[in-house]
Amino acid sequence: MNLLHKIVASAGLLTLALGSVQAQNKELVVGSSATYRPFAYENPAKEIVGYDVDIIKAVAQKAGLQIKVVNTPWTGIFAALNNGDVDLVISGVTINDKRKQSYDFTMPYFEARQLIAVQKDSTAKSLKDLAGKKIGVVTGSTGDDTVSREFGKTNPDIRRFESTPVVISELVNSGVDAAIGDNGVIAFRVQEHKQLKTVNDPSFPKEYFGIVVKQGNKALLDKLNAGLSAIKADGSYAQIYKKWFLAEAPVLPVQ
Amino acid sequence: MEQVLWFGWFRADIIAEYAVLFWRGLQMTMLVTLICIVQGTALGLAIGMARLAEARHAPARQLCKFALRWPATVYVSFFRGTPLFVQILLIHFAVLPLFINPADGLLISGETARNLKQNYGAFLSGVIALTLNAGAYISEIFRAGIQSIDRGQVEASRSLGLSFPRTMFHVVLPQAFRRMLPPLGNNAISLLKDSSLISAIGLAELAYAARTVAGAYSRYWEPYLTISLMYWVLTLGLAYVVKNLEARYGRGDTR
Repeated sequence: MNLLHKIVASAGLLTLALGSVQAQNKELVVGSSATYRPFAYENPAKEIVGYDVDIIKAVAQKAGLQIKVVNTPWTGIFAALNNGDVDLVISGVTINDKRKQSYDFTMPYFEARQLIAVQKDSTAKSLKDLAGKKIGVVTGSTGDDTVSREFGKTNPDIRRFESTPVVISELVNSGVDAAIGDNGVIAFRVQEHKQLKTVNDPSFPKEYFGIVVKQGNKALLDKLNAGLSAIKADGSYAQIYKKWFLAEAPVLPVQ
Repeated sequence: MEQVLWFGWFRADIIAEYAVLFWRGLQMTMLVTLICIVQGTALGLAIGMARLAEARHAPARQLCKFALRWPATVYVSFFRGTPLFVQILLIHFAVLPLFINPADGLLISGETARNLKQNYGAFLSGVIALTLNAGAYISEIFRAGIQSIDRGQVEASRSLGLSFPRTMFHVVLPQAFRRMLPPLGNNAISLLKDSSLISAIGLAELAYAARTVAGAYSRYWEPYLTISLMYWVLTLGLAYVVKNLEARYGRGDTR
């Protein structure tokens, strides 16, 4: 055996060895759109942090999963899941019937509601009052669904943007009259701008965020659900909730 | 709407559902491109001339250098040296709010500013950004075209008693224009494609329509293939116009 053969052989062995290690302890890639403070955002040290990240880390620990959180833009987040670029998604994704047709969801880990943000001088009291006004939403979000249902999906008064911060900037600059989005994020953003206020429309239904996996990936789904139950049972869920929302965690339905 | 499959995989129904959005988007894309080609060419001509400005005696000599050549060079360098996407965001969220702002706009404020922002904000920012960007590139085409004309042409024309502006518009520019047509056509095609970037600030053009559909259905083949074909047809049309112009202005060429 000459030297070249030895190199090729040892390289082959090494690949095999690495392959088997990976198969045993495969690191799962978690997709999260890091423009969604306080759920997921990049801190100054370039780490992705937030409520979603803390939840998935705690769940993974209980379920014995190795994970790596990767910033995945919201626009392509479901495509990334379909392609296998990410193994699961935790990014403030609302569980709804339309999405359930294409993906599988864990049990809820957050109770959400749509919330309206407007300029302080606005007289709007509910979604109905926004008829004929320009409304900013994030493309494909639950807010988008809500206004599409109410005002028609091709209504030119609906202005769609890439992320909540952009929608809020547009509202601050008076490019739109109102912004609609998930309560956690909208409330957080409105605190930053004193010319804005929130309007709570009581007719908006309760919604729940779930962790998303590819349809049919039951093995992973079961592990995640077990992890979620475990952190709810041992109190770490309540701690994480309190850390990010400064409130007691609500009781969530199990399915 | 009932699910309609073409070729077994293409969901034609979701395109039909949003047909209005695609149609309006197509019109918007064409409008923006047309305006920006016209304005960009005019701006490019002005900037290109400014970069070539020269005078023999003081103080006109210094004036040409510091008031025309330098600003024009800095302008071209900036708009060619930074990404168009960044320019669009900069103009929409930073520059324009400075001038047009309901609270304290330097140019327009109050209710007029609010109406302007809401109805034409994204259009205005997009057209301004794209025009300024195209102007920088086109100015270089003009400069190269003018410089490619032999000095003897100018000298001959001046000896015949034509003034400098007349020399420029009757002798140099017509000849230069023939040579500038291919790069100008190229630029127009780039402009058409680059207009898709304006969807980031919520302008309802073609890319925005596709993004909306992708966001609503998490399906990517249908919307993006549809707009690809539409962009393709548009660029083919532009290429055809340029080809005809070349044939028309090249009639006298013996080559």
